[in-house]
Amino acid sequence: MPEHSTQAKCLLAQHNSAQQNASWPNTILPQQNRALFKDRIMRHGRRSSPSSFPTNNGTRQLSMIHFVLLISRQGKVRLTKWYSPYSQKERTKVLRELSGLILTRGPKLCNFVEWRGFKVVYKRYASLYFCMCVNQDDNELEILEVIHLFVEILDRYFGSVCELDLIFNFHKAYYILDEILIAGELQESSKKTVARLVAAQDSLVEAAKEEASSLSNIIAQAT
Amino acid sequence: MARDLAPDVERLLQFRDPNIRKKAALCSIRIVKKVPDLAENFINPAASLLKEKHHGVLLTGIQLCTDLCRVSAEALEYFRKKCTEGLVKVLKDVVNSPYAPEYDISGIADPFLHIRLLRLLRVLGQGDADASDCMNDILAQVATKTESNKNAGNAILYECVETIMSIEDNSGLRVLAINILGRFLSNRDNNIRYVALNMLMKAITVDTQAVQRHRPTILERVKDSDASIRKRALELVYLLVNESNVKPLTKELIEYLEAGNYVKDEVWHALIVVITNASNLHGYTVRSLYRAVQTSGEQVTESDAVDVIEVAIKHHTTDLTTRAMRIKDIIVQDKGNLVLELQQRSIEFNSVIEKHQNIRSALVERMPVLDEATYSGRRAGSLSAAVSTSQGAALNLSNGVAKAAAPPLVDLLDLSSDDTPAPSSSGNDFLQDLLGVDLSPASSQAGQAQKSGTDVLLDLLSIGSPSAQDSSFTPNALSKSSQDDKTSMGALERLSSPSASSIQASSPAGGSPMMDLLDGFASSPPLPEANGLAYPSVVAFESNSLRVMFNFSKQPGNPRTTLIEATFMNKSSVVYTDFIFQAAVPKFLQLHLDPASSNSLPESGNGSITQKLRLTNSQHGKKALVMRIRINYKVNSKDTLEEGQISNFPRDL
Repeated sequence: MPEHSTQAKCLLAQHNSAQQNASWPNTILPQQNRALFKDRIMRHGRRSSPSSFPTNNGTRQLSMIHFVLLISRQGKVRLTKWYSPYSQKERTKVLRELSGLILTRGPKLCNFVEWRGFKVVYKRYASLYFCMCVNQDDNELEILEVIHLFVEILDRYFGSVCELDLIFNFHKAYYILDEILIAGELQESSKKTVARLVAAQDSLVEAAKEEASSLSNIIAQAT
Repeated sequence: MARDLAPDVERLLQFRDPNIRKKAALCSIRIVKKVPDLAENFINPAASLLKEKHHGVLLTGIQLCTDLCRVSAEALEYFRKKCTEGLVKVLKDVVNSPYAPEYDISGIADPFLHIRLLRLLRVLGQGDADASDCMNDILAQVATKTESNKNAGNAILYECVETIMSIEDNSGLRVLAINILGRFLSNRDNNIRYVALNMLMKAITVDTQAVQRHRPTILERVKDSDASIRKRALELVYLLVNESNVKPLTKELIEYLEAGNYVKDEVWHALIVVITNASNLHGYTVRSLYRAVQTSGEQVTESDAVDVIEVAIKHHTTDLTTRAMRIKDIIVQDKGNLVLELQQRSIEFNSVIEKHQNIRSALVERMPVLDEATYSGRRAGSLSAAVSTSQGAALNLSNGVAKAAAPPLVDLLDLSSDDTPAPSSSGNDFLQDLLGVDLSPASSQAGQAQKSGTDVLLDLLSIGSPSAQDSSFTPNALSKSSQDDKTSMGALERLSSPSASSIQASSPAGGSPMMDLLDGFASSPPLPEANGLAYPSVVAFESNSLRVMFNFSKQPGNPRTTLIEATFMNKSSVVYTDFIFQAAVPKFLQLHLDPASSNSLPESGNGSITQKLRLTNSQHGKKALVMRIRINYKVNSKDTLEEGQISNFPRDL
């Protein structure tokens, strides 16, 4: 029974008439629709985040890391570093959302999650999830490398780092992170240099401590 | 604060300690982002940073330059002119550098530097042919030499591909890039696949052909276990669809659709977007959708499917098929009466009909679908509820059809259905039927709205040019059709075979295609008139300008089928061109139209057009034949329309 093709042809003609005399080869996938769709994809990277987050902020558009999160498997937040302006309320919201999103992902899935127009690249090391949020058009594989760099430096510094190390020495973790990333940009790609710098910082701290204690000794003795 | 600190930071860019310099560079980036005006101050210091040896400073310097270029056009020009070659050289050095343990990551010396350099080259090369030329060699080298078994290598390759895609056209490099992406697609690593799909989507705008080559791999990815990959693959497949590959792609997509009841919503939606944008899929899609819904049998799944259809409808509210789907909606929801949406829907529909009188003319445009639907609703013949209110009419439709156990749309498309609704000719009447308004006389055709309606109907039905009459719509495959995917695909293929002027939409020109459409695609040879004129011929229709005569005959052994030869005569003194005859019959009749002898009717009876019709009466003996006809022709290039109802068929036909 040919009626279906009648109907189908009706559809085609109707569609076609909507396309204003476009000839058949063009109407299967009308160029304008395709262009619109492409436009949507292209603009995807620039899509403004929902109203609760600042939208037209210049710092959000050039390629950068917006924030770094370390979340444990149980959902506890071990470290957060924000490179874009997020208010306190926004921060908790982000944490809640991303925890839910990332912790529930299976092991075989890819390490990239699309979230609110941004991409969140995460990697799981033992019981910790390292998450970094970047723009849509950034190189995700590179961010994975940055995460790995961070972890390797932590490992080198703490010597087989585990979550406990980060819990008890979180300030050192922050220092190390600050030597790797500033303002959401990578600043040093050499592990040795970073290690050297952090070691230098540590020795400064030591020296200062010593000085402080010796001063207090003197004062204590004086009084 | 940024302005206050800017001079200090600028000074620090030249500090002796490299650590300070690199931090100052990143600071400058922040400043420039905050206050783009200050960018000019940083151009020169940034340029000098590019000559650094220290990787950290180089890295940050490159980043600073990249962001400066993005923020300020002047900076872009400056860097493009002065620094492109220098950068190419730096990249060359890095790529060719020997093993350096300090910066080594999985065998590659400082992949971060690679990536930053490639990014800056991309910004500089975009839109500028000279700069792009400079970097061709090094890009080719990076693309071919970088190892891709580790993530670092892949990251570099990814960046390289992005750069190649963005800079000015170089087909050799492009091919290289697409090949890399193809390799990525087959990689076992999910991340790489995701990245590849992403990249391919951007690549499509640049070079569709090459991406088409990877179609099979992409299709595989549609079935990936990872949802985000599937979503990307679907979007990509959508972009890939064009007239030549629509058939196999559609097949894949439909299979996927049927398996898709268990897939997450987002994938659904992406797929529906894909499908709704390929209108020729609609018929087939709706059918298989309905089948899926039928087989699932659960309320929940139904409403899921309905939700999805709603999404589709919202995308294309004026699309013919989705209109039909909408009606299907009504039916489906009618079954699930308890669903809240039904009430909402019927109220919606009701209000549309009752309140929006002023947009009736717009509604008229919807006629074609409603016609079909109403028509087949009637055809189902079991309208139980009384046609009291307009809403009643709508639900009638659903009731009637529900009882027929198949939605009208499916019937329309269903190849195994016995009854075949003929397209209606007096569309306006049907709409008003649906709306529960008095039937206007079939022959009165006043008003612009109606004209537009008929034009739409004509558009709807006029497919193909006179010359394409024989080519695209060869009926054989279809007349032997069964409820078979392959055949429907065959049908769609036929429809999609691009004959040169095959679908001229809005012009009502082309009388013969009209015939094709109304022809039941039976390429049956001229019916034997063995019986002769056993029945008296009648003047089926006569007006001041036209006369239509019907000659009847029956085939021996087939009393239900009447062969009619229609003869059209021109009573005026002007020749008629683009003569199109359309007929509609009630649902107990089956109508087939053969092509007319010509579509130009000479004047004053100097010649005539003949056309053969075949009517099969399923209620032979119980009901007489009745037919509504519509005739379109042009007089001195002015469109004329005549409509009428033929009720004077001999009683025993």
